[in-house]
Amino acid sequence: MMKQTSHHRSTFRIPLATLAIAALSGTVACSAAPPAPELVEARTAYEVAKNGPASELAPARLEEARQALEEAENKFEQDRKSEAAKVAAYIATRRAEIATIRGKEKNHKLEIKKLKEEYDELEKKHLTMTREELAAAKAGLAQTKAGLEQTKAQLDAEREARKAAESRLASAVASLKEMAQVKEEARGVVITLSGSVLFSTGKYKLLPIAKDKLNDVAKALVDQGYKKILVEGHTDSQGSERNNESLSLKRAESVRTHLISQGITASKIEAMGLGESRPVAGNDTPEGRANNRRVEIIVE
Amino acid sequence: MPLLDKCARTQIALPTPTPIRLVRCARLVWLAGVASLSIACGGAAAPNHQLTTAESAVRAAEVGGAEELPKGELHLKYAKDAIAEARTLMDKGEHEQATLLLEKAAVDAEQALALAEEEEARSLAEEQLERIEELMNQ
Repeated sequence: MMKQTSHHRSTFRIPLATLAIAALSGTVACSAAPPAPELVEARTAYEVAKNGPASELAPARLEEARQALEEAENKFEQDRKSEAAKVAAYIATRRAEIATIRGKEKNHKLEIKKLKEEYDELEKKHLTMTREELAAAKAGLAQTKAGLEQTKAQLDAEREARKAAESRLASAVASLKEMAQVKEEARGVVITLSGSVLFSTGKYKLLPIAKDKLNDVAKALVDQGYKKILVEGHTDSQGSERNNESLSLKRAESVRTHLISQGITASKIEAMGLGESRPVAGNDTPEGRANNRRVEIIVE
Repeated sequence: MPLLDKCARTQIALPTPTPIRLVRCARLVWLAGVASLSIACGGAAAPNHQLTTAESAVRAAEVGGAEELPKGELHLKYAKDAIAEARTLMDKGEHEQATLLLEKAAVDAEQALALAEEEEARSLAEEQLERIEELMNQ
């Protein structure tokens, strides 16, 4: 593995990581291992759902979420490293979020019903009252109005929050959709870019089209409030291991440099060259090799 | 394949196999063949049912307008990517792995639909509120 970092602190990352692993395995030997991050995420999502409107307004969904969490807990108990356990936790997280969303939806539907009734009542008054009577009635409507203001403020706040989150997501999704696979993994959001999109064979200079696309990625990332970004270069197994490591590092560095030129904070982004050490597909077919030639951007 | 090994060893140990032994060997080879066939299929049935479920969940989310919502679109993308990957795995006979991916895909698509429907209810509530305000200001 090759590594190039932007600041001195990171030079100690490997020993620190080794220490952390050693400490972790020590813990495993002495007592129960800490719960897997996937499971923690699922439990948190369930707590959020349980404390939201879902418990009253979408109890069936919440129950589904509870069962999914129970299944995930069981699978982790059986084999905490298994893919099945991780998938069960992923499903439990989704089920909890669905319960939360359905609770909110039901809440909005109740608001609609209430608002419709108020509208009808107001309309009736409009039709039957004189102008003066109406003015008096409207003055007495202060309470209704206050209630309405509150509903409106709530809806506005929700809309604003959603807009802020979604404009970031929208640009990220739009720019990545065409050229990349985006996956949420325990290590963060992983954006996988195909090597052929970014570079010519054997080269590490970014293709012009790749720069355009990376600009979009950078724009999305700048808004995202990332803690750390890791750029990993990977190759297939053709050619010498040494050359592959060096090429993958140079490629990761090219991507890193370009992202920095687009406003990503240099101290928060690292480049690593992993060569052929982490294939995602077999190296025995052209298709598999193409999948292995890639750059992964991991956003924490 | 241990069964084949055993068969081969038996043959080596007995350079002149009797007809009975040959029959036994043939039986072992046949058994080994059956065993390897089921191993090639990943030991699990093809998750055709899960594939249908995931695909119809994706269609439902699309019809529900999930693509118009960035977050909905993102979950739809996760679902579609997982289905595509699962199809590749199914072609290779890796059914167990494909099943897991399809289960993920279905629940992602379901979340995309939920997001779209919640957004619809929220905007309807907002419209209703605006109607009342108009009436009050008349």
